[in-house]
Amino acid sequence: MPLPAKAFQLWLHQVAPSASTADICRISGIKRTTLAQQLVRGKVAETTLVSISRALNLNPLAALATFEHYAELATSPQPPTPAELVSQVATMDLLRAVISRSSPAYGGYGDSGSSLTPGLGPAPHATSVRNWVDAIDDGELRHRVSAATGVAPQNYSAQLTANRLSPELAVATSRAAGVGFTGGLVATGLITEEEAGWPPGAKQSALDALSDGELASLAGERLQALGKSLRRQEQEQAQTEKIWENLG
Amino acid sequence: MIGILQWTTLAVCGVVTLARIPSALRGQNRSLFSIFALMTLAILLSIDAPYLAVDRALGGMNIANLVLRFVIFAAIFFLGLRVARGFSANDALRLITGPVGISVAAAASLVVIAVFLMMDTAGSSAGLVGVAAKDHRNAALVEYYGAAGRLYPAFITAALFPAMVRTFRSRLPVLVRSSAALLALGTVAISLSLLSPVIPPSLGFLRFVFNYTAILCLVLGLCLVWIAKTLAVRTPKKQANFT
Repeated sequence: MPLPAKAFQLWLHQVAPSASTADICRISGIKRTTLAQQLVRGKVAETTLVSISRALNLNPLAALATFEHYAELATSPQPPTPAELVSQVATMDLLRAVISRSSPAYGGYGDSGSSLTPGLGPAPHATSVRNWVDAIDDGELRHRVSAATGVAPQNYSAQLTANRLSPELAVATSRAAGVGFTGGLVATGLITEEEAGWPPGAKQSALDALSDGELASLAGERLQALGKSLRRQEQEQAQTEKIWENLG
Repeated sequence: MIGILQWTTLAVCGVVTLARIPSALRGQNRSLFSIFALMTLAILLSIDAPYLAVDRALGGMNIANLVLRFVIFAAIFFLGLRVARGFSANDALRLITGPVGISVAAAASLVVIAVFLMMDTAGSSAGLVGVAAKDHRNAALVEYYGAAGRLYPAFITAALFPAMVRTFRSRLPVLVRSSAALLALGTVAISLSLLSPVIPPSLGFLRFVFNYTAILCLVLGLCLVWIAKTLAVRTPKKQANFT
């Protein structure tokens, strides 16, 4: 659920008492009409709050935690699990890690990898939301989230497939899985890893801690999913072209 | 109101047909051009003034109305083939071109001709209104004639309906899905127009609404595919990739 406009304006008044709406829009890069519309509707998007916090050099996570819906974010920050961290490694980085661990004959550096391997890309990546949920899913997670929020499982799945998840659902998912609240917010791209308080290199060390077998299976799963989605896209493209060829 | 609907439909069809001339000259999808041309001709023949002019030239026996029926049959047949191929509806394609489709086409044609011959068709009159007004027998025959004329279009579009719904629920580009939705809506309208004989006279305007909604939906649906293609060619969309 987006933030109530009243609470948002109260917050804005606290953090930037002298700034006009126009100033806020200018420094945060939000279109004036967008903000005005959100205020009129009484619902301010979380992304708006995050942009403004960044512009004011405030921590977006802390700013978010001042709102009633997100009050839990302030309570005892729970660090992301290794599985969550690895889920935020992009598939191509994961494959690069596989090669990096391979024997020099295949362009690798042997078991331990090397500092010469290029650094990991920042989260979120192309399938970060689904990978995150898969990483914390015990098999019943989707049902619990659906029961707790009233969002139908197929709508939830549709959001995952589109690599989206509303901040509210991300937090609800974390709660249902019993993990820290930052994982979902990072995976959906609302806040960065740094803003979430993840130590630099946390993803890399979680990745390095995987055994070769775990890494290979994980890379295999990711490749399988990638292949499936690419094949579907190709099929849809072929279907569309057939329609155009016959009716266009 | 009905006049506006009629002339709008004619204008839309005419414009689309004209707009397709360049691509038809280039040799792209000539059959689609002929489908639109046939549809324009069909609409022209269902409007009073043009109908009277054409029918007088044909002898004032309402033969133009018979011609109109077969123009519609031809247009809908070719349209059905194109749509079935385009939307990969092999089931529909088999139904339309197989023994079932041919029997329905033959039966509909025979009934249309037979009923036409049984009527006293002297005196040009669009929609055979004048013929229906002669006596009860002719009035009943006109209804059967109309129903028989709608049978084949309804069969073709109903055969395509599942494929349209499938496409609409798929994850293809929005314009393609909207066009499938329009074609499906056209199908519903054509099927509803089969009910014409039982629509009470007080709701007579519904007949026109069904008929012209059907044609407008079909034409606009086809236009959307064309627009989608043109847009896609102009702004090449990102292909599936590894990112």
